[in-house]
Amino acid sequence: MTDAPGWLDRFVDSLPERGWFQFLSRYVVVPYWAWRDPKPKLPGGPRPAAQPGENLQCMMNLIMPLKDPSPVGRAKAALAIAQNVDAIFDGLDNVGTVHTARFLLLDGNLCMISVYDGDFSNYIRDFIVTIGSVFDEIMDLVVGGEELKPTAQNVDKFIAWVHAHDLFQAPDFPTDLFTLQDEAKGVGPGGPPHELRSLPRALILQLHANPNISLGGGYRAYPGFSAAQVRAKFGVGW
Amino acid sequence: MPEPDIADTLVAFLNADGIPGKRPVHAWGIGASGVFVPSPVAGSFCIADHFQEKLPEGYPKKPQVVSVTVRFSNGSGSRQNDGAAGPHDGWSDVRGMATRFHLGDGSATDLIAMSLPEFFTPTPETFLDFARDALPRPFRRETPWQKLRDMLHLTLPLPDPYPGQVSRPDDGAMDYADRNRSAQLAVFQAASIGAPVSYVRATYHAVHTFFVIAPDGTRRGVRFIWQPIAGALNIDLRDPAQQDKVTRPYLQQELRDRLAKGPARFSLMMMIGETGDDFDDSTRPWPPHRVRVMMGTLTLDTVIDCEHLSFNPLLLTRGIEPSGDPILAVREWAYQKSSQVRGGVPCPFSQR
Amino acid sequence: MTAAFAPSTFDPATLQGNILRGYRLGRVRYLILEVGGQAEDRARARRFLAAAAEGGSAEVPAITRESSGKWAGGARPDTCFNIGLTAEGLRALGVADQHLATFPAEFTDGMTKRAMKLGDFDDSASAHWPAPFDQPRRVHIIASVYADDEGRIDEVQRKIADAFTVLGHRDGRNLAEDKVFFGYRDSISQPRFAEVQDPERSQDSEPVDPLGTVLLGFPNRFEGVLFSVPSPDVLGRCGSFNAFRILAQDAAGFEDYLDAAATRLLAHPLVDQVLEPGGEARIGRGLDRFGALREIVAAQMCGRWRNGVPYETSADAQLPDPPEAAVSLTNFDYSRTSACPAGSHLRRCNPRGGPIVQRIANYTRRLVRRGMSYGPDFDPATRDRSERGLLGNFIGANLGAQFEAVMCDWLNLGLQDPDVTGSNDPLIGANRVETSWFDLRLRDGGSIRLREIPRFVTTRGGAYTFLPSLPAIRYLAGLTG
Ligand code: HEM
Ligand code: HEM
Repeated sequence: MTDAPGWLDRFVDSLPERGWFQFLSRYVVVPYWAWRDPKPKLPGGPRPAAQPGENLQCMMNLIMPLKDPSPVGRAKAALAIAQNVDAIFDGLDNVGTVHTARFLLLDGNLCMISVYDGDFSNYIRDFIVTIGSVFDEIMDLVVGGEELKPTAQNVDKFIAWVHAHDLFQAPDFPTDLFTLQDEAKGVGPGGPPHELRSLPRALILQLHANPNISLGGGYRAYPGFSAAQVRAKFGVGW
Repeated sequence: MPEPDIADTLVAFLNADGIPGKRPVHAWGIGASGVFVPSPVAGSFCIADHFQEKLPEGYPKKPQVVSVTVRFSNGSGSRQNDGAAGPHDGWSDVRGMATRFHLGDGSATDLIAMSLPEFFTPTPETFLDFARDALPRPFRRETPWQKLRDMLHLTLPLPDPYPGQVSRPDDGAMDYADRNRSAQLAVFQAASIGAPVSYVRATYHAVHTFFVIAPDGTRRGVRFIWQPIAGALNIDLRDPAQQDKVTRPYLQQELRDRLAKGPARFSLMMMIGETGDDFDDSTRPWPPHRVRVMMGTLTLDTVIDCEHLSFNPLLLTRGIEPSGDPILAVREWAYQKSSQVRGGVPCPFSQR
Repeated sequence: MTAAFAPSTFDPATLQGNILRGYRLGRVRYLILEVGGQAEDRARARRFLAAAAEGGSAEVPAITRESSGKWAGGARPDTCFNIGLTAEGLRALGVADQHLATFPAEFTDGMTKRAMKLGDFDDSASAHWPAPFDQPRRVHIIASVYADDEGRIDEVQRKIADAFTVLGHRDGRNLAEDKVFFGYRDSISQPRFAEVQDPERSQDSEPVDPLGTVLLGFPNRFEGVLFSVPSPDVLGRCGSFNAFRILAQDAAGFEDYLDAAATRLLAHPLVDQVLEPGGEARIGRGLDRFGALREIVAAQMCGRWRNGVPYETSADAQLPDPPEAAVSLTNFDYSRTSACPAGSHLRRCNPRGGPIVQRIANYTRRLVRRGMSYGPDFDPATRDRSERGLLGNFIGANLGAQFEAVMCDWLNLGLQDPDVTGSNDPLIGANRVETSWFDLRLRDGGSIRLREIPRFVTTRGGAYTFLPSLPAIRYLAGLTG
């Protein structure tokens, strides 16, 4: 009783692979929906949660556009980091809550990727306190950075700026995206459910508002333990 | 016994139209036997027998080996009249892995898991509503115009029918999920779950929260997961070499062939719940950031027939206790009832 | 930008009086006020504020100012009146959006949006808060009126009600002997400031705190860091922030838990490491072993015995010899071998100079605390379950760096010490029976893990408020539109 696909079925099935249809999707369909059903940009970083496991080994994906993305500008950024290795370790060891941190040059961006324990604002604030000067040097190089200098005297503003440049972390469970989008529009979890089949559209439109995102909150070999707990267990002190 | 009425209703509903003598759901399956070796840390989290790394007197340090019976299955039922009967191994479906640990004192304990990390609804009553909505409905391929509309609306495309498929539960499940947020995750994930290349290349979740008791009396709310050591892998129907899997059952033979060559292994991982986690709602999985404990390794080596066996998620043992999840509670009687109806070997409960 | 940091000069007469010190009056009433929506409502509210800032009038109570020690001679006012404004309140009085945007995000978000950081979930969620806190956007001003005599409070309330809509009120009082429910003596530790004379505290050994701990525009404990002063300068400078919290205390549940814990300990093989045989008399007069164990659990959970004696310096005795009076209630510090458990309320809220993971954070998250109790007296013998608790104010120059920082990383989560990470404050944390734990410290340095600690403290309302200086109040009074 199976209905075999006809030529039109096969044609329509092939549309997503056809260049002109992709062009149409990209320049007409998505912009149309983005206009009809705009999604607010969702905030970066991990979302506040009660569970200790959600508050340990948090991920920061800080993407900072360079003022000068040419090789010269990027070299300056590379040097600024290289010259501050000691200062960075001072911060890392004395803030005490960082598992790993690394810097990347990715196209025209300086990226700081780190794994830290506890509250995001506390993490950034404590870092400014110890090595605000390193952040000041970085702020010289990135778009919008001047306004935040000296970071030690613009603590709240700097925290807000970092938060805004930290990548949105897509929920670990895809359908939770509906809830986050509702929240951003002030609709509580008791609001009317969304049509489940519209989830791909919800995601596409979110990627319109947040072009770069982190896919989920990351995966860990030993989730639920702080940097200090790991150090304590290895007997290297904290 | 919790709410036998709703349990009876559920079993009767699932059984309607099924093949007599077969399970109403997870109808098609295959058994395997092997051993479970608890990890060195398992005993510090749970006093249950099968988690003790006992060191037999005198002989070189050798961990305890627990013998185990497993039944793998396809989640779908055996409805005769909708054309869906028969093991459609290559169709997208949830798979089951029911495990029985045979303990030293002759008793046993079960751990029933499936490849979906969460359940559809939070209570038996809502599950009945869901199951009614999700009865397979006749369906045909979407017309080209409907598909075009989906593409322009950027919505989830509906899959084309598999050869021979004339009905499916997805549409009713989608309708239900459109009205009930708590069902959305399970319906969405079930819709795209696919088919594994082998029963031992899928990850299985026991879904509910259980409490495990540690030697010092500590009770921890936990969830169990069987992780295939070979890794999870689905079939890919775009690969011409695999296309016959849609029409030809392969999972049972694959397991026979595989175990004839060598054993297959799973790790038993245990996630520990935290303040703020829901212990009684199996529609909410826990995020992947919980402490994970490696509880032991399962090694399967022989295919066996265990179609007559009856598993029960509440066949627990000293050291493992159920949470207050109402779905878990209703399953105790539902599985016994179902076993009676199909004439299975009564599960050890009936001896109590 | 930097211009905003011209150092402020300390002029006590420009400050509200409840920031740097408490009044030591017996009663308080918090009036939760809304500024009406009409132009004439705003005008009336502004006239009131103008008069209140200028020393009051027949119809308007005066804002009580900081006295900096001048009350020592006994000329203490018998009624005090102060105000704090929420972000919605500033907006209602006409503060421009561009100025509001210069306030820190946690303040403009408001307390209900910060719920997860504060442990306000489950029964503590703002969705369960009774009126008027069920409508946070209408909470504009929280006025506090202090007196020993309720009649005087009523009088001030009548005047206030002429200018604002009173959405609700909460009455608090000091319990006997400075106690809080749960039976502890409170109001012992506070930050101290060089600028404020307080003869009672002159012997304290904790470092003196810089004024920037509570006042905007002054240096704080973070070297080189200054918290931004919101604009316009006259509005922000010398202001402070307050987390006002209504915290219900399950006093019956707490006593029940102490029973359960003591019962378990009595049967524990290591019980003699908790309490030396024969040590009961030092714990309390007439206590048996069970009663003494209860007190030890209570003392370790708090970090002080119920009579206020620090556990750190008097681990084996609530009634030390030489007697209580000779023990300093304030002078002690923690170390790696402290007797006081790292998980105790005291060590979580102020780890002092002790070892913490965030080495740079010692003494940076200080809070000025002002609180009184609400609800009927509690009798541990009968253990009724009426609602009672604490009307708490947690004051500092930066809510994020102080109140929230303590709440989300230290009080709950326990990030400051790997031995307590993953656990919450045993006394007031967002605990759940299934997951909570607290390590009781033994005499030999070992520990026994107590579990199944329920949540004793539930949030029943609250708001983040800005405590403006007197010039700022005049500025608000002068706004138009
Ligand atoms: C209200 C909810 C549920 C009901 C009413 C229900 C009902 C049933 C019934 C009647 C059977 C056949 C039992 C027999 O005849 O021996 C069965 C089998 C099975 N169920 Fe469920 N079930 C429910 C939830 C779940 C959940 C949450 C899981 C996953 C953890 C699950 C996994 C399985 C598996 C793996 C089997 C096959 C067992 C075997 O191989 O013998 N079920 N279920
Ligand atoms: C109903 C809830 C609470 C009760 C019953 C309570 C009880 C106590 C007691 C009995 C003390 C010891 C007395 C003293 O040292 O002055 C104390 C100290 C303290 N509490 Fe609380 N408290 C509560 C809530 C809070 C909250 C929410 C915070 C802040 C986030 C907090 C912060 C502090 C601080 C900073 C100290 C002084 C620690 C020190 O400097 O050594 N308390 N509390």
